[in-house]
Amino acid sequence: MVRLTKTGTILAYVFLTIYALIIVVPFTMMVMNSFKSMRELFLKPFSFPSSFKFDNFSKAWKFANIHVGYRNSLLVAGATVIIVVLLASMFAYMVSKYDFSFRRGVFLYTMLGLALPARLAVIPIFILLRNMNLTNSLAGLVLIYSSINLPFSIFILKNFIDAVPNELCEAARIDGASVGYIYYKLVLPLTKPALSIVAIVTFVNVWNDFFFPLILINDRSKATITLAMSMFFGEYSIQWPLLFAGLTLSIAPTVILFLIFSRFFIAGMTQGAIK
Amino acid sequence: MRVKASYVLLFILPALVLYSLFVVYPLLDSLTLSFYSWKGVGPKIFVGLKNFREMFFGSFSKEVFNAFSHNIYFFIVAATLELSLGFLIAFLLASKLKGAKLFRTVVYMPNMIPLVIVGFMWNLFLNPQIGLVNNFLKFIGLKSLARPWLGDPSTALLSIILVNTWRHLGFYVLVILAAILNIPPDLIEAAYIDGASNRKIATKIVLPLVLPTFRTLLILLFIGSFNVFDMVYAMTGVQAGPFRKTDVLGTVFYRTAFGGLGSAFTDMGLGAAVTVFIFAIVMPLSILYVFLVERRERAW
Repeated sequence: MVRLTKTGTILAYVFLTIYALIIVVPFTMMVMNSFKSMRELFLKPFSFPSSFKFDNFSKAWKFANIHVGYRNSLLVAGATVIIVVLLASMFAYMVSKYDFSFRRGVFLYTMLGLALPARLAVIPIFILLRNMNLTNSLAGLVLIYSSINLPFSIFILKNFIDAVPNELCEAARIDGASVGYIYYKLVLPLTKPALSIVAIVTFVNVWNDFFFPLILINDRSKATITLAMSMFFGEYSIQWPLLFAGLTLSIAPTVILFLIFSRFFIAGMTQGAIK
Repeated sequence: MRVKASYVLLFILPALVLYSLFVVYPLLDSLTLSFYSWKGVGPKIFVGLKNFREMFFGSFSKEVFNAFSHNIYFFIVAATLELSLGFLIAFLLASKLKGAKLFRTVVYMPNMIPLVIVGFMWNLFLNPQIGLVNNFLKFIGLKSLARPWLGDPSTALLSIILVNTWRHLGFYVLVILAAILNIPPDLIEAAYIDGASNRKIATKIVLPLVLPTFRTLLILLFIGSFNVFDMVYAMTGVQAGPFRKTDVLGTVFYRTAFGGLGSAFTDMGLGAAVTVFIFAIVMPLSILYVFLVERRERAW
């Protein structure tokens, strides 16, 4: 592997430390500023808070409707992950392991979706959901997110299922296993790593999205966490300590989960994007 | 294996129906809609190519090309920064420094946070009154550089691009690092035995071998640059101030299709025409991306 000289190593550490600080300091400042009063934030935006105003958090929690945002984001992302994992794995299994007419055509048709940025279709999506009475509803969001995340998930899963030996499935078949039984008892357990990549990528994509809620949701009680934060910023635009507290609350669960499971997340997200 | 047709339908139809209904059909319908004028309710009026004429030659064209040039600028600056810094950092990390694992976690962290929230965060940090950035400049004695970053026409767009880089760089670092670690170690080992310097190894061995990854990342960066919306929305708003200096096609589209006060052009048909334009720019590269990724798999 690459070997650095002594000075090279020192320079590398200096450079990487500066970069790490550029990432960590803003997060730290955000948290510290969440505890300050307006006056203190103005006078000493850099310093450690002189006293902790926890009250900023309770206010931000209430005004930004953060619990509602969490709940909605969790519901939408959770439901989407379940639908995507189930439908994409069923589809990939059929296309990978069985012969039927249009098999290749059907697969390539879904692969087209890898290249289509779904955001560009948002006007017809909006109209379609309006006709189905599903605008301003979490179910509408779930339908859209599930559909958008299918092509990528099918792609990943098919590659993994292709690697499951055909002989294994054929042997099970001869022993009398049904198509559904092979899927459930053989293929799914053998493709667990791929299923978890699909689940992570889908969950993070949905959790982080802002565009579709912005256009499809206008009711506070239906806002996802990103939309809830956006509404909060619109209403409390200069109450800075509150805004910092809101931001801290809105990202805390993600950051904590990520720090605990970072290996898992990083492997899933980077493999997912490049594969 | 052979299988009954009813099973095929049972397993593939649910995915196929959702995908056709909510991805394929809406995209095709966008194309149709771009030939109409429509306020979102009431009758659609067929106008032929009028929306496209308006977009390329009419009074709307100024707005569209202003935004388009910002998307291109976005792509150039973001691609240069993310690939060069990404390569440098990945190369350093490939040397197995102590603490590299922890560092990977730190650099990837911003990627986990929703773009729009990163935008709001930096909106506060770049604030001229309480902002971290100006206060930091004052602290290190560069007070003269302090400015209202997002309010100053000459720095607004660049600030957004830098924040965007802050959010994404970790991803590029880790993908390039994975590519570097894929290089057979003997190759680098042999170069060291021949007395090659690290600079030589980086530029003559590692860089050429990770170029295919760069190509894929460039395509992703290009597509991403035409998808920019959240960050601008959070940092300079739908009006993409100051004076539309941070306007991108995404915000033009949003104002056109879904209103937004102060926009002279609001029409669903015209909005659809903007998406068709973005689509035409992005599509060839998207197909190339799928082709490159698919070829690597050689599944069929």
